[in-house]
Amino acid sequence: MSESNNAPLSTDVLEYVQYHGDKEETCLPAIRQLISKDLSEPYSIYVYRYFLYQWGDLCYMALDSSSTLIGVVVCKLEPHRSGTFRGYIAMLAVQEAHRGKGIATKLVCMAIDAMKEREADEIVLETEVTNTASLKLYERLGFLRSKRLHRYYLNGNTAFRLVLYLKPGTASKSPHDGMGRGYENAGYEQMSRIDGVMTDTKLSP
Amino acid sequence: MYAGFAQHHDDVFSDSRQPTSSASVGLPLRQAFRQPVGEVKIHDISDKFRRACNALQVGQLIKDESFTLFESIGALEIMDPKMDSGFLLPDETLEDAYDTLTPLLPEEVIGIMDQLLCYEMAWHTGYPLSQTLFTSVYIDKLLWPDPKTVEEAQFYRGHLPEGKRPDALLEVLRAYCLALVKCCDFVIAKIVGRDYFEEEDFCTHTYNRVLLARVPLDVFLRELDAAADMMEDTELEIDCALRDAIISRLSFRRDFLRALDLDCPLEHLSTSWPPILKTLTSISVTQQLGKIVPGSFSTKIQRRLASTVPPRPIVELEFKDAFEKLKQLCIDSEEATRFTTLEPDPLEYQSFLFAYASRSPTPLPYSRSYLATLLFHPQILNATASLPLTDVRTLVFPSSTVLDPKNWAYSPPRNPLAPKPHRLQLALLIDEFIERVGQPYLDFWTALGQNTCRLRRMMTHVITAWDQLQRDAASVDADLMQVITALGVRNEVMESPLEVWVYHKKLWMVEKCILLGFEQDIYLPDEYTGMYHFLSLIVRKRRVVLGSVLAHFSMRATQLDDAKEHNEAPGVTDGALYIASLMKEAEGVQELSAALSSFYSVLLYLNALPTPPRPISTEELRYELRMKPFLALEPPEVPDFLSFQNTIKPYGPYDDPGPELLAQLKHDQSPLWTNIESGVKRAREAFAEVKNMGARNAKTEGVSEAWTKDIKGVLASCVALGVAAAGVRVAIAKMEGEDVKNLGIKVVVPDMGKGTRYAEGWIVGKVVAK
Repeated sequence: MSESNNAPLSTDVLEYVQYHGDKEETCLPAIRQLISKDLSEPYSIYVYRYFLYQWGDLCYMALDSSSTLIGVVVCKLEPHRSGTFRGYIAMLAVQEAHRGKGIATKLVCMAIDAMKEREADEIVLETEVTNTASLKLYERLGFLRSKRLHRYYLNGNTAFRLVLYLKPGTASKSPHDGMGRGYENAGYEQMSRIDGVMTDTKLSP
Repeated sequence: MYAGFAQHHDDVFSDSRQPTSSASVGLPLRQAFRQPVGEVKIHDISDKFRRACNALQVGQLIKDESFTLFESIGALEIMDPKMDSGFLLPDETLEDAYDTLTPLLPEEVIGIMDQLLCYEMAWHTGYPLSQTLFTSVYIDKLLWPDPKTVEEAQFYRGHLPEGKRPDALLEVLRAYCLALVKCCDFVIAKIVGRDYFEEEDFCTHTYNRVLLARVPLDVFLRELDAAADMMEDTELEIDCALRDAIISRLSFRRDFLRALDLDCPLEHLSTSWPPILKTLTSISVTQQLGKIVPGSFSTKIQRRLASTVPPRPIVELEFKDAFEKLKQLCIDSEEATRFTTLEPDPLEYQSFLFAYASRSPTPLPYSRSYLATLLFHPQILNATASLPLTDVRTLVFPSSTVLDPKNWAYSPPRNPLAPKPHRLQLALLIDEFIERVGQPYLDFWTALGQNTCRLRRMMTHVITAWDQLQRDAASVDADLMQVITALGVRNEVMESPLEVWVYHKKLWMVEKCILLGFEQDIYLPDEYTGMYHFLSLIVRKRRVVLGSVLAHFSMRATQLDDAKEHNEAPGVTDGALYIASLMKEAEGVQELSAALSSFYSVLLYLNALPTPPRPISTEELRYELRMKPFLALEPPEVPDFLSFQNTIKPYGPYDDPGPELLAQLKHDQSPLWTNIESGVKRAREAFAEVKNMGARNAKTEGVSEAWTKDIKGVLASCVALGVAAAGVRVAIAKMEGEDVKNLGIKVVVPDMGKGTRYAEGWIVGKVVAK
């Protein structure tokens, strides 16, 4: 997958690395700090560990030459009750001074590649309806809006659910356990919590 | 519906505090542990805990299956001031030092009342009480500790310190606050009585405070009256303007409380809202008299409401916005009361519900519950013959023996083995079907009462249910045919009437779903051509269905004429007008959607619409995703990918069109142009005719104003499309050379919900120079 941003890139000085559990002590504080920066309410350490301990290999970091964390993407991948093997992009953040250079796009592409490699059927995420930079990022890649989620975030803001299918036949999959829950219920599998989870707000198109 | 968020915090926290929590492992939702009072034993587990921790690596997560993302998000870190609401900064006090018995100035009473009103409305828009009304020190004093009686609900508890008796103004404020609390109690009861989504629509959490639920309405009215008397007391020395301002607030609260009363009889509903709207003005013009009282609201109270939720900021809604919300609440609720005056016709109800859901700004959760309560009121639901049956009759059984009331008067034969009379069989078949329809029908109405985001999503589920219903209808139809053939009245009944009825409603819902997708900006501009095309395919099928219905109506009319059944004939002719109105509307929708699809297809060829590069997705996968809600429908409604592509790309790929495109673009009378233009013309004519036939024939009489506005909006969209297409034509005419991709034009798509679209679901881009 290639970097789709045509803007002149200075990303060549950055190093893109996969997270690993033994990096927790050095990386996690930086990840938390980067992500919390744009949140009105921080996530507890358990949220980070929930993802990183189970899906650390779906977390990618952009580091500069002095190993400072510039950007990060955090994901999970597991069977969804709809019957699909669903990838979920939970957090994405790039330091403000480095936005607009395609770093977020690169991180997201790496994560999607990794999930594709592991046979994901689809990738989903939510983002605020007003977060045009984030919408643009994902929609450039091929995500479509599948749902509008009224007052999805704690601050009362509404979200779009964005979806990218990776495999044909995904729409027709059905739950393995044979018990569709009828009406969807929000809240258990997504991060309907805090404003601006996808925080790359200043990213220019 | 999902459980309350804060409740979950409690659960997680109690579990993590309980060493015995492993007992509940395996339950999908864990119950909060309640410690038995009086048997508390405390064990120091610090050492064990530390030893256990030392055996873990940093970052290692020990969790059972039921520890989900949801729980991890609900977890808190103790001693982090952003998460731990019990954490005190150096020199910070746990409680506020605010004294609720300190006498207040009249302007301060006004200030507090108005601030309470702001928080009340913020709560109405969906924020929890902990971030709104429950930040009031006065409300807190009234409700905690839980008062056993109204007399106990004071701004103090127990014995009054000497000489501290609250003065008249404090008593007035107390009456206002008590009534306000009761308003909240009524609001919660009304909302939880109907379908809603906790936290998404509304937060009903009261943090173990009982909102004076058991105290009857008249107690609060008496308190308010007594307060008004105190204010009018000539002994009270107070500026006239301030006195009036306070009295008008008390009288607003009185009217509001009465309007919210759960036991308000149906016949009084419509008169309960106008008086509030009258008092509102006097509140808004005196708002500037109020004076803010620092310290009378505090986030510190949150600590005692829910220790397991991070401290959250007070939601500040400006008075002018809060006031607008309040006004809207009253207007929408008053509008909802009109529901009780509608003709008892399910199709009028349907129009009313849809128009209500489409109101802009969208009605608050309370108003939606208010309408839903009326809709599902026994007096309404059981007022007439079965509502679904009436709906069926209207569409497919004009003057039919099948629904002859006499059929229901037959008794079964004494000998159970003897065949039942045919007419009785008809009654039984119809009863069976109507019984089967009940739930899907109610689901449909329930969906219409949700917030519009939910409405769209719930509608896709309702469609699936109706899809199954369609199969069952077909099987009842088969039985029905046998009986009516035996009865010799086969020619009175159209082919597969019940299935036709279900299918028609199902297709209508699919159309609404697609249009709601446009309204909610679900589709990106380069998807417009495909989605409007899909809409045109669906509505075309509905037209075919309606065509057969209309043919049946006219045949029935002729039959009745021939049989000199002059009593029945007018009913059929009237009924046919409704079908004709539906038919015309469907024609308009089909023509306009097809024309829009062609228009956007041309724009894609001209490179005049933003088209994302989408390097990691394919058109076929996106098509599958888009069509997901409709893929399983029977008969199939979703065309196969290739034929769909061929239709929306008549001149080959958008980035590499065949030579035919240029020829057609440049030719004035080519199908490329005439299709759009004649489509727009036919759409206009069709909608104009619907308008002329009137609201009554469209069964939208109860909402004729909104309906007329809607039709005007669609007509304006037709005109706008004509103008936009002409704009493209002009640019083509001016083109030098053959580079159609660089015409120097672009298309501006009007934003949703800003009033820049003539009709929210009909998006007509504006052609402008680049």
